[in-house]
Amino acid sequence: MPARKRLNSLGFVFRPMKRTGKQVWESLIVGKPNTVLYPYHKLNLPPTYRGKHTLDFKKCIGCANCVQICPNDCMWMEKLDDPELGKIERPGIDMGRCLFCGFCVEVCPTVALHETVEFELASGDRDKIRFGPKELRDDSYAERIVEERQKRAVPVLDLDKCTGCEKCAGECPEMCIAMMPIESVGKLKPEIALPKCTACEKCVVACPEKALTMKDMYESYFEMPEPKFILKNCTGCSACAKACPADAIYMMDMPGTERILKDGKKSKPKKRAVFVMEKCVGCGKCFRACKFQSIEMPGVKK
Amino acid sequence: MNLFTFSYGIIHWLVDLVNHLWYWLGDLLPWEFGDFFDDVGRFAASDAHITVMAILVEVLIIVIIALVNVLNFIWIDRKFMGRMFDFYGPYYVGYRIGGWLQNLADGIKLFVKEIITPAKADKLGFLLGPIIFVGSSFLALSTIPLGRDFGISTNASGAGVPGSALIAFAFFAIAPFSILICGWSSNNKYTLIGGLRSAAQMMSYEIPMLLTVASVFLMAGSFNFTEIVDAQHDVWFAIPLFLGFIVFLVCLVAEVEIQPFDLPEAEAELVEGWTTEYSGMRFGLFMMTSYLRGYIGGALATALFLGGWHGPALIPDPIWFLIKAYIVFVIIEWMRWSVPRVRVDQLLNIGWKRLMPLAMLNLLIAASLKTLGWF
Repeated sequence: MPARKRLNSLGFVFRPMKRTGKQVWESLIVGKPNTVLYPYHKLNLPPTYRGKHTLDFKKCIGCANCVQICPNDCMWMEKLDDPELGKIERPGIDMGRCLFCGFCVEVCPTVALHETVEFELASGDRDKIRFGPKELRDDSYAERIVEERQKRAVPVLDLDKCTGCEKCAGECPEMCIAMMPIESVGKLKPEIALPKCTACEKCVVACPEKALTMKDMYESYFEMPEPKFILKNCTGCSACAKACPADAIYMMDMPGTERILKDGKKSKPKKRAVFVMEKCVGCGKCFRACKFQSIEMPGVKK
Repeated sequence: MNLFTFSYGIIHWLVDLVNHLWYWLGDLLPWEFGDFFDDVGRFAASDAHITVMAILVEVLIIVIIALVNVLNFIWIDRKFMGRMFDFYGPYYVGYRIGGWLQNLADGIKLFVKEIITPAKADKLGFLLGPIIFVGSSFLALSTIPLGRDFGISTNASGAGVPGSALIAFAFFAIAPFSILICGWSSNNKYTLIGGLRSAAQMMSYEIPMLLTVASVFLMAGSFNFTEIVDAQHDVWFAIPLFLGFIVFLVCLVAEVEIQPFDLPEAEAELVEGWTTEYSGMRFGLFMMTSYLRGYIGGALATALFLGGWHGPALIPDPIWFLIKAYIVFVIIEWMRWSVPRVRVDQLLNIGWKRLMPLAMLNLLIAASLKTLGWF
């Protein structure tokens, strides 16, 4: 590093004056000062700014993952009666306790929650910064912003239509579809290894029953807990299927379990739950709904 | 028509008007009061009374001009400093006129605030310090003319007071004395250090300043502002005495105690120095007076070095004078917000080792120019 030029006492005066004079030229004559006159002018905030939340009612499935992950416990689920969507559950946020960490936005499996650039939330009344789902609702927000999250297309199975014909498994070039027997039902179900899938859509085209459809999945930063099914405890009450927000649980008949009743007729066969893991969002609602310890979910609180 | 005859005419007209009413009132009352009414009316119409009142009107005009200039100076200072540091400066109070009313708003705020006298302070000195400071600064205005016909010290003949520049400098130099009184009587270590620093600073900077002024007196051959300015009709003294002008400006900054030399009221080390204990409008007066001294300094530099009111006749003389004073003030402010504060030893070094020889050299140049007969 070369030695700095030695200044005489006039240089000590004139060099700073040159610098400040340049600043005055820039901020008074040519342009404007750097200050933003806040209440009248506002900064152009980046789209990733974490401000007040918005909620897309049509995308939200009411899985309550956001409520579970909230570190400040400032969200809650509210039961609503929507004219379009029927009886639904949607989250509300208490902005007085929110720390704007953005976990709820990141964990949302359908990207229904967003954080906007709106930051003027102060109010004299605490109740006015508790935003219920209706105050957060903005169904068109997602169309207006550029989506930041990674998403990819993935084939998703509708088990009601599937006949177990193995055509999809034969078609898959990556060999990522395997036909697995469902225990004590006697049917085969294609299980798709999602890490291998390249979204070539050949299985979707090949399916004669149109049971496979391509769907956009969002990659989450969080590890998703998976439900473990214990068959011997299951009574076939279908409480888990009703609780599941993503329709990932199907109730299927188990053949050979019909009992002969006193009048000689056969009863209906017992049912069991079948999980389609591509649809699962890991919310743990089935685990909480099950009263017979038939579902285990490590890492989820009861 | 100069300022004196103008105000004399105003007072004469007013006295005539009031005397008409006065005699009409006297006619209404019983005849025993007649003598009294006659005496009062005759005294009011006498030349001595009208002259004194005319001088009072002159003082009023000059002081109002000075105070308006002080408001402008504070505004320029804040606005210029803001733009220099890349922010807006005063903006919202008086939005249409660039935040000019902010000073008035601050003044009203200072009026409303409580004036606190410390329990252990010397009450007389504490009260007397601001009075001397403000009074002497206003008195320094008394002999500075804004134009050939526009000053307090002009009489009917138009000639100024002989030695008016000496009087202005004498009043200008009283202030450090009052600062020392303030610092001592506040009974606070910071104020005391500030006052003593002010005394040291005045000691070391008054001498080079007066030496440069002496060179101007030598060149002009007079102590009178009017004659000094008239001597600069062809060439401003700032051109042959450029060295002296620079020395004068630096000494002026030190005398007015603004930024590179604001050791007596150093904010960081002495918590506003000798003004620490003053609150409310007393502090406001100090602040206003420091800007008034800035205006006086600009006016002195203009009258002594920059040709006073000389300029193209398109603009009236007093306006020329004010324009030059404003330019000097802006340059001082520019230096103020660019340069860091000097240390005490550096201050004395600059004063005695640099400016003093330069002032002597300047005096030598002035003497040789005068001897050669060029001026």
